[in-house]
Amino acid sequence: MSGSDTSWLGQSLPRHEDQRLLTGRGRFLADTARGCVHACFVRSTQAHARVRSVKTGSAAALPGVLAVLTAEDLGLDGAHLPMLHEPHPGFAEVTRFAMSDPRLPILASVRVHYVGQPIAVVVAESRHVAEDAAELVEVEYETLPPVLDPTAALAPDAPTLHAHLPTNEAARIEVGFGDVDEARRAAAVTVSDTLRIGRHGAVPLECRGVVARVDDRRDRVEVWTSTQIPHLVQQALCRVTGWARDEVRVAVPDVGGGFGTKANVYAEEVVVPVAARKLGRDIAWVEDRQEYLMSAAQGRDQVHHATLAVDANGRVLSWEDDFVVDVGASSLWTAGIIANTAIHLMGPYRVPAMRVTGRAAYTNKTIVAQYRGAGRPEACFALERCLDAAARRLGMSPEEIRRVNLLTADDLPYPRPIPYRDGVPISYDGRDYRACFDSCLEMLPRTVCDELRENYPEHDLGYGVATYMEATGRGPYETGRVRLLPSGRFEVATGAASAGQGHETTFAQVAADALRVSPDRIRVGNGDTDPVTYGVGTFASRSAVLAGSAVHLAATRLADRACGYAAMLLDTDAAGVVLGAGGFRADDGRVVDWTDLAAAFGPGGRLEGQPSLDELAQFRPQTVTWTMGVHAVVVGVHRDTGLTSVLRYAVAHEGGAEINPRIVEGQVIGGVAQGIGGALLEEFRYSPEGQPTSTTFADYLLPGMCEVPQIAVKHLYVPTAGNPIGVRGAGESGAIAAYAAIAAAVDDAVGGGDWRVTSVPIAPEQVRAAIARRSAAVAS
Amino acid sequence: MKPAPFAYVRADTAADAIALIDEDPDAKFLAGGQSLLTLMNLRLARPARVVDIGGLGELNRVFDDADSVLVGATVRHRAFETDPLLRRLVPLAADAARHIGHVAIRNQGTLGGTLAHADPAAELPLVMVTLGATMYAESRRRGRRAIPAQDFFVSHYTSELEPDELLTWVRIPTLLPREGWGFVEYARRHGDFAIAGAAAVVGLRPDGTVERVRAGLLNVGDRPLLVSGGASMSGCRPDDELWRDLAGEWVRQANPPENADYVRDVARAALTRALRAAYDRAVSAGGE
Repeated sequence: MSGSDTSWLGQSLPRHEDQRLLTGRGRFLADTARGCVHACFVRSTQAHARVRSVKTGSAAALPGVLAVLTAEDLGLDGAHLPMLHEPHPGFAEVTRFAMSDPRLPILASVRVHYVGQPIAVVVAESRHVAEDAAELVEVEYETLPPVLDPTAALAPDAPTLHAHLPTNEAARIEVGFGDVDEARRAAAVTVSDTLRIGRHGAVPLECRGVVARVDDRRDRVEVWTSTQIPHLVQQALCRVTGWARDEVRVAVPDVGGGFGTKANVYAEEVVVPVAARKLGRDIAWVEDRQEYLMSAAQGRDQVHHATLAVDANGRVLSWEDDFVVDVGASSLWTAGIIANTAIHLMGPYRVPAMRVTGRAAYTNKTIVAQYRGAGRPEACFALERCLDAAARRLGMSPEEIRRVNLLTADDLPYPRPIPYRDGVPISYDGRDYRACFDSCLEMLPRTVCDELRENYPEHDLGYGVATYMEATGRGPYETGRVRLLPSGRFEVATGAASAGQGHETTFAQVAADALRVSPDRIRVGNGDTDPVTYGVGTFASRSAVLAGSAVHLAATRLADRACGYAAMLLDTDAAGVVLGAGGFRADDGRVVDWTDLAAAFGPGGRLEGQPSLDELAQFRPQTVTWTMGVHAVVVGVHRDTGLTSVLRYAVAHEGGAEINPRIVEGQVIGGVAQGIGGALLEEFRYSPEGQPTSTTFADYLLPGMCEVPQIAVKHLYVPTAGNPIGVRGAGESGAIAAYAAIAAAVDDAVGGGDWRVTSVPIAPEQVRAAIARRSAAVAS
Repeated sequence: MKPAPFAYVRADTAADAIALIDEDPDAKFLAGGQSLLTLMNLRLARPARVVDIGGLGELNRVFDDADSVLVGATVRHRAFETDPLLRRLVPLAADAARHIGHVAIRNQGTLGGTLAHADPAAELPLVMVTLGATMYAESRRRGRRAIPAQDFFVSHYTSELEPDELLTWVRIPTLLPREGWGFVEYARRHGDFAIAGAAAVVGLRPDGTVERVRAGLLNVGDRPLLVSGGASMSGCRPDDELWRDLAGEWVRQANPPENADYVRDVARAALTRALRAAYDRAVSAGGE
């Protein structure tokens, strides 16, 4: 048996799953649909309307249709999904946090709140027939004026969108410390701005999908869904239906990307299993792209009114922000988004006084979930844009003003006078944020613009830099399970489902390290409520921290117990047995290995009838651990068209131990790509009637290979005692500061004047107009 | 995104295709399918029947006809980029074709398909208008008729073709000696529908001065727009400034439906560069 003396942590092993995924042998949701009948949802065509009637007769009569089901037919009348997050009571009290529950029906029958909202489901022999039938369902609407602007939605005279609520306020929060008014009086410069981050979101290669299979023998339904959070799906499904946990298995096949949109529970994930049980048929719903771009949860969509006061040296004196989040018709994650935004507004700087108020508003746009960063990019954009504005007013460089304010080794660890969302007082646990900043500038200094200029005669080049904080590894807990198989190999399961992040590789490395075997002896299953009864899921840069630690704990415990069994086989005392790369060694030199141990559990073996080697562990962190980082970018702005190209990009970050450095690097690069998309291209747009107009890839523009340059990543290792494997989360790092950095670079390229980027995605026509004004000014 | 039910029939010959459409004028021809199938999957197009002409080999041919080239309707966009004969005879189309979507799209999309689809953002319709090509349409009732490219495009997604007509061949004039071409377009990302684009042909006199200029714009209105008039370049050796001024004058003829100032700005940049490229090529082709 191959063992190992080397640590498997910190090695850039090739990803185990890539063998499968890159050779077309992945099994995604649609690949599990064999033998199923197909569901197609009848969705609202109106942004805001009363539903007068839903006539399903002619649809149901179409040959090949099994059923056309409304909320009433499914016993889901009035049913709604539970909220997925509420902050800790201690946090809520300090921040005067309040939120409302929109109770958006699982299938709408009285009122519709956005185009794409599910109203009924058609079940048919094929998706083709199901779509034909869905067209025949007649929904009679009485249209109501749509509310599409979040600020207007919060106005006192705005029509209320959810009948049981007094206003359209989804949540509110106040975070503050220090005397802002006093601090502002001493300011040399005060800058105020309104900053907007457009509505965009995760657009994974694989859309959503659910397969529900009825298992009559076990009297349960098996639900396969393309999700990041199978346990929360199971929990919500049980809550809505009243089914017991053991009546539902939720399992996750290969998932082609999630990015937060799939860290959500959807009406479709309830309807498909309920319909399957009702009809006694296995049902598949495989979402298509248009449906996805219309009805899957979106993100961002915030407007910030921010004021930053600095002294003559650029030191921050006070920081105020009043922001509004547009959560569309509903969000099960409103609390998380609004709290993340408020908390992350502090950035990695010395901020002596802060006053933040945030509100979330309901509108008649598509529902919202957490999207990579979930409030952090928005907070970063507001603060970093104001720092740039203050620097400009003071005649300082953007680099200087940041160096003046960044926390250094002298400041850190840096407690903040407010609690984190888990109620624990915030303390930045980093090493030297200014050093991290300098190391990013070393990788990509401003002077690179001068070197590149002659290659881009039609472009103006600009340089931008931005920093971010990211609280990672939020609790409450995650589960890991490690089991010795009869062959002497191992199976690992966790509550953290992989959507492509490489869990099969990283969790195998963690387990291998504790078990002293090669990772190729370890198989990691994807999210599944069968092997792991309780779990939370993959989001908020938490899987490496929490699930990784849980796997570590389970594997360590397994190894400890195995020493006892090895001692039995070696007829010696457990205290004298040591687990090493070669196996279990007695003090007299005799050795048994994991294969011997596994075999001994077999019939007639020395361990026959003994409790098996199968360990489950939960890891509960005390609080989050912080990742800090810096983005630097060079852009080229095409003078004649205002189109922006990202030419060079670098990220330096303070992270913890890396389980697999190449995977961490990939996370950062992928995040930057999504940030480039949000800064320059991607936007879910709506017509004045509330019709979504970005429902194909001709209208919703994703960054491709040509839009994303090579990205240099530097990892600065700063250990953390917050978890047994010393890791910090990095899943969202790449996305957070990209918006602010690119905006700064575009400003720099356009150069001077009053114009600056205040909203993303950056509109080329605005950039072009700014360039034209500049040229006119030069000419006159 | 599944199409509404439709009947499918494959034509074996052009005559066969014309006969099939004659029986059923509500049917649609399907060539490369790069626009029609998308529209059908979105249920924006709902033909009861499609007649598949994508495999018609007899129309997937090119004939060199001395001062023009005859190109069949099922010739793929990719052929304009890769076929040595086409590249030599219609270099403007080769330059334009690489802006059409991506290679996979160009491998399927056909000349006849993009012309019949009449999308004002499409590249090859602009090329045909700029070069003064002639389209040939055939039907059982009308026989064969020739339609000049300038008259062919009527409005958004509307051409002169009658529902029972098959676009069979396109005659494209080849460049004369001392003629140069230019094609420039700007899009948010390569392969996207252009914000605006321009094609130009500049012909020189033996003395190297400009004899004639022909140019057009795409996606600035409801069809490819041939621009003309303005300051005559005839007899000039224009510098960059002059071309820029001419382009500025010409884009005023465009009335983009949205974001008009910006689109005109972009169109002007594209046209300036297209004109300059055409002139430079004409010069190096032996104008002087």
